[in-house]
Amino acid sequence: MSDIVIDTHNISRVYNPTTIPIYAIRNVHLHIKRGEFTALVGPSGSGKTTLLNLIGGLDKPDEGQIFINGTDITTLSPGKLIDFRLHNIGFVFQSFNLIPVLTARENAEFIMLLQGKSKAERGTRMKQLFNQIDLEDKMDSRPGELSGGQQQRVAVARALASKPQFVLADEPTANLDSKSASNLLDIMDKLNREENITFLFSTHDQRVIDRARRVITLVDGQVATDTNVIDTSAPH
Amino acid sequence: MAWRNIWRNKTRSLVIMVSIALGMFAGVAVLALYEGMMVSRIRTVIDEETGHIQIHHPKFSEESETKYTIGNSRDLIQKIKTIPEITLINQRQLVNGMLSTPTGTAGVQIIGVDTLTEYDFSSLKQKIREGNGLVPDKHHQAIIGMKLAAKMKLRIGSKLVLMFNDTTNDLVTAAFRVSAIYRSTNAPLDERLIYVSRDELGELIGLAGQCHQLGIKLRDDKDVEAAARKLKSMLPGLKVQTWKDISPETEFMVRTVDTYSYIIMIIIMTALAFGILNTMLMAIMERTREIGMIAALGTSRKRIFLLVLLETAFLTLAGAPAGILAGWLTANYFHKTGLDLSGMGEEMMSNFGFRTLIYPEFPAEKLIPVLTIVVITAFLSSLLPAMKAIRMKPIDALRN
Repeated sequence: MSDIVIDTHNISRVYNPTTIPIYAIRNVHLHIKRGEFTALVGPSGSGKTTLLNLIGGLDKPDEGQIFINGTDITTLSPGKLIDFRLHNIGFVFQSFNLIPVLTARENAEFIMLLQGKSKAERGTRMKQLFNQIDLEDKMDSRPGELSGGQQQRVAVARALASKPQFVLADEPTANLDSKSASNLLDIMDKLNREENITFLFSTHDQRVIDRARRVITLVDGQVATDTNVIDTSAPH
Repeated sequence: MAWRNIWRNKTRSLVIMVSIALGMFAGVAVLALYEGMMVSRIRTVIDEETGHIQIHHPKFSEESETKYTIGNSRDLIQKIKTIPEITLINQRQLVNGMLSTPTGTAGVQIIGVDTLTEYDFSSLKQKIREGNGLVPDKHHQAIIGMKLAAKMKLRIGSKLVLMFNDTTNDLVTAAFRVSAIYRSTNAPLDERLIYVSRDELGELIGLAGQCHQLGIKLRDDKDVEAAARKLKSMLPGLKVQTWKDISPETEFMVRTVDTYSYIIMIIIMTALAFGILNTMLMAIMERTREIGMIAALGTSRKRIFLLVLLETAFLTLAGAPAGILAGWLTANYFHKTGLDLSGMGEEMMSNFGFRTLIYPEFPAEKLIPVLTIVVITAFLSSLLPAMKAIRMKPIDALRN
């Protein structure tokens, strides 16, 4: 299996191509390796969310190709793309987006249910994940009964439930207070280190940027800088 | 999830469920009422007008001439009695004629009857409102309908003159006295039918001991076709007709009303469908971001469609059983006590041959078509919201 999980080949996304073209993303060429903990930063309108949507298969580039684990997702039919997302990509959204009528556990196992995983398999995975996010006692709580930080941790559990190739997190700490954000980052950092899960964040949050081990800066839809941060906290 | 989703907005869901329950209640009540009316009409036809089967001379039904009798009725009756389904055989003389009184004239049908069997056959005794019927040892008595009595200003004891042709086509005139006034559930017949003694009428028309019609009652309504078949093979020279042949308008009415009642049901459900549609559209619009999110996570369009379909089905089917049950219980209650529709106008009801006391009933076999209508309504109402849901692009929906 290739070490590169995400590979974009000169992708561009243009709005209003026939009138006044606006390049949300322009010729972005990017590789993300397995196990990377990457922050996508940049000012508002720089194209962070658009790039994340393209990599997540929620949008299609007007130019270029996107390979996820070797599969060119730009050529997949809508049905196959849905299936691809289901089995390969984990999403964490800014505003949690948990289903209010389901419990924390039901939210987290939603994807496994779609994948047709057995009850026993789901049970084992949920136990493990809720232990990792430190919410074992809240498994049967509805989202409305959880704090913002707790909801976002459940969202992380949901993203990881199906053991995806990587997790895309769009401003995951934007709606959280400092303590909750720090707690969430600890969990994601731990999952990244211990389970080698690849994370790609779009963020404005300095706390996230500080924890990232690679920082890609987008300006006007183009990669301005791509920096590997020396990880002093990594175990030797 | 679909079931839980419908309880997100309890008030809205309950309103639509109650609407569906009320609609179903109304639909079932209408079906039960129509069924009751039809059963009542059929009972009136069989119990009071035609009996189950009638036998005539083949030409009598077409030409109604006095001479077309069914021959030696005593021998025939002995023969017919061997058919086990038959419980009652009634002989009638039938003559068309003219009634004349000092106030005017009216076209009538004079029926010569044996009170012993006629009272059972057409419930004539029960229909008599004034007088004593045909009293033995009194001659030239007539039982007339209330409507005819009112029209001709006749009372008990009033004298009337009947004119009709005998078998040789000579005009016969005979005077009778009103011995009783009856009122049936079929007003047009009350204005036309006059009952007199069969023996007396037979003598007047020169057909003593003969009859024009044998009316037959059976043990069970279901035996009609079988008994008619047996009679037809037993009496090849005579015309054997079931009540459906004699009163095709009743059979037609039953079928038509059945169709109408389903049309009413469909109209009710169509109106409800718009309520369901509106509720589901609101629910989908409110959850745009959530639907976008589950689509982004990898929920197929088929599953999203199914989710909306199930939500609509639950919303519809949660209200429907309560409505059907309430409708059925109400129909059952009135089936026992009877539903008095005289407020709608006794005269009007009787002009159409209906009783005013109706016993509504909701037959079990109609439950399947009713449920089918409900399921189709739920499915059709879910189509637009479901299409809207699956057409949402996750990226746009998430931005909502």
